[in-house]
Amino acid sequence: MEITFAVLLWGVRILFLVLLYLFLIRVFSSLQRSLATENAIAARPTGLAHLVVQRTVRGAFRVGDRLPLRAVNGLGRDAGNDIVINDEAASARHALVEFADGEWWVEDAGSTNGTVVNGEVVRSRERLQYGDELAIGRVALRLEQ
Amino acid sequence: MRAQAAVPLGRGRFTELALLIWVATIAITGFVAVLATETASFRPTAVVVPLVFLALMLSLHVFLVGIRFRGDQILLPIAAGLTAIGLVLVQRLASDLLLQQLSWSIIAAGAFAATIVVPRDLTALARYKWTWALLGVLLLIAPLLPVIGREINGARIWIKVGPGSIEPWEAVKILLVIFFAAYLEEYREVLSHAQRRIGPFPVPPVPYLVPIVAMWVIAMLVMVFEKDMGATVLFFGIFLAMLFLATGEAFYAIIGLVLLVLGGIVAYQLFGHVQARVDTWLRPFDEDLRFGTGYQLIQGLYALANGGLIGVGLGNGMPDRIPIVWSDFVFDAFAEEAGLAGAIALLALYLVFLYRGMLIALRAPTMFLQLLAAGLSFIVALQTLVIVGGNLRLIPLTGITLPFVAYGGSSLVTNWMLVGILMRVSQISDRMRGGGPS
Repeated sequence: MEITFAVLLWGVRILFLVLLYLFLIRVFSSLQRSLATENAIAARPTGLAHLVVQRTVRGAFRVGDRLPLRAVNGLGRDAGNDIVINDEAASARHALVEFADGEWWVEDAGSTNGTVVNGEVVRSRERLQYGDELAIGRVALRLEQ
Repeated sequence: MRAQAAVPLGRGRFTELALLIWVATIAITGFVAVLATETASFRPTAVVVPLVFLALMLSLHVFLVGIRFRGDQILLPIAAGLTAIGLVLVQRLASDLLLQQLSWSIIAAGAFAATIVVPRDLTALARYKWTWALLGVLLLIAPLLPVIGREINGARIWIKVGPGSIEPWEAVKILLVIFFAAYLEEYREVLSHAQRRIGPFPVPPVPYLVPIVAMWVIAMLVMVFEKDMGATVLFFGIFLAMLFLATGEAFYAIIGLVLLVLGGIVAYQLFGHVQARVDTWLRPFDEDLRFGTGYQLIQGLYALANGGLIGVGLGNGMPDRIPIVWSDFVFDAFAEEAGLAGAIALLALYLVFLYRGMLIALRAPTMFLQLLAAGLSFIVALQTLVIVGGNLRLIPLTGITLPFVAYGGSSLVTNWMLVGILMRVSQISDRMRGGGPS
């Protein structure tokens, strides 16, 4: 009996190590799977159209980033926006880009520095064509399909 | 595009549940191994504790599913696994403290749940940054005050609260990361695009350098008056790391490290406690230190050697030879009983924690959230490096706790709150990307 107990005890001790490693492997594979899902979501064609980053500031986007648009999109510095523009020159809630009546529209949401389309300041609500350049703060975005 | 939200994948948190089941098997096996070895001093509480802990973790999981929390599913099991190993080690090393540590984990779980629910808008934390800074500095200097301050094991980093004492530094860590993140988000441009340059070095306008110098001064004061080198390294290290992340200027990190080393050299010349730490590190086996300040470190090294590749088995080592093993030297005790294999697995868990934290930071939508997540994960990483490095005699030993594992209430509670904040950040990123499972 003495020996079997000791052997059992050693079994438990080794089991502890084995379980530790199995847990580690499971954690790694979960991490892997979660990354794969994220990449799949990122690669999924989403949105009706895209805003492609033309000009940017450090910490915001990278030039060439394609930001998918939904039907209604809030743009601004605040984290609650659909497209967060991390630039001090952008207002918390800066502008609204929406798809209505088969057209894209941009509306200034009362920003401090204004919203500019193709070099002209948006008065109230203006139509956006594909290829138009939308400037918010120091970030410039082009509407693309 | 709302169609994505209808995918049922986001509903359950099955990954988390599956990983928690693994945690349960580890905890139970660990307790069985320890209890079976020490059958002489068997107490029924030792059986109840792991079960209560597992029920606690399960209820956290159910709570997250219940509030439809979407976000990271890996951090909670890692933290639970580390805390479980911590409980096994407390049972092994200081079984009198087991119930206390269990109560602390219950409080920690409560704090975690509160962190998940309470701050409605995480970004709003940035608005009160000066409040956090002030609170942080007050807590940092609180142990120096005559009535409430306490000196334990040569470090004056405790304040008396009722019958016990807490380490305010633990709460300070989180407050400061929030402050740094908010501050750096606001002044990043000015700090990183300096108009003037002297040679390769950017020279930002003087007012913006003030906080860097102020941080250094505070860090040095902590080292000198609270006699806590670990807190100094952590405090300043977090600040430098976040400054580097925000600005991308290696110059700041280099000048900061130079300042830290210079401060260290001056402190070594001037202050006995710093000198003692360094001497113990460099020559613990010397005649005059072997049975004095070097004793703890030497016993820790013997424990490591005794452990070997797969260890002597949980419960089978001689960790009680190391003084105060349950708070300062848990890593060595674990390495003795679980061996190099166990120690590497433990470090790998911290590594995954850091990796996950950094991924969350990368995906976070705003600079503030990015810096917050990165800073918080960095705390855990740096703390692990500093204490494990100290235990292995790679760097001078400092009294920092091994996150989640070492005995200690304040540390456990704040680390669990830290996990809560990281999970909140991951939830925000998920929601902003139209809600995919993660």
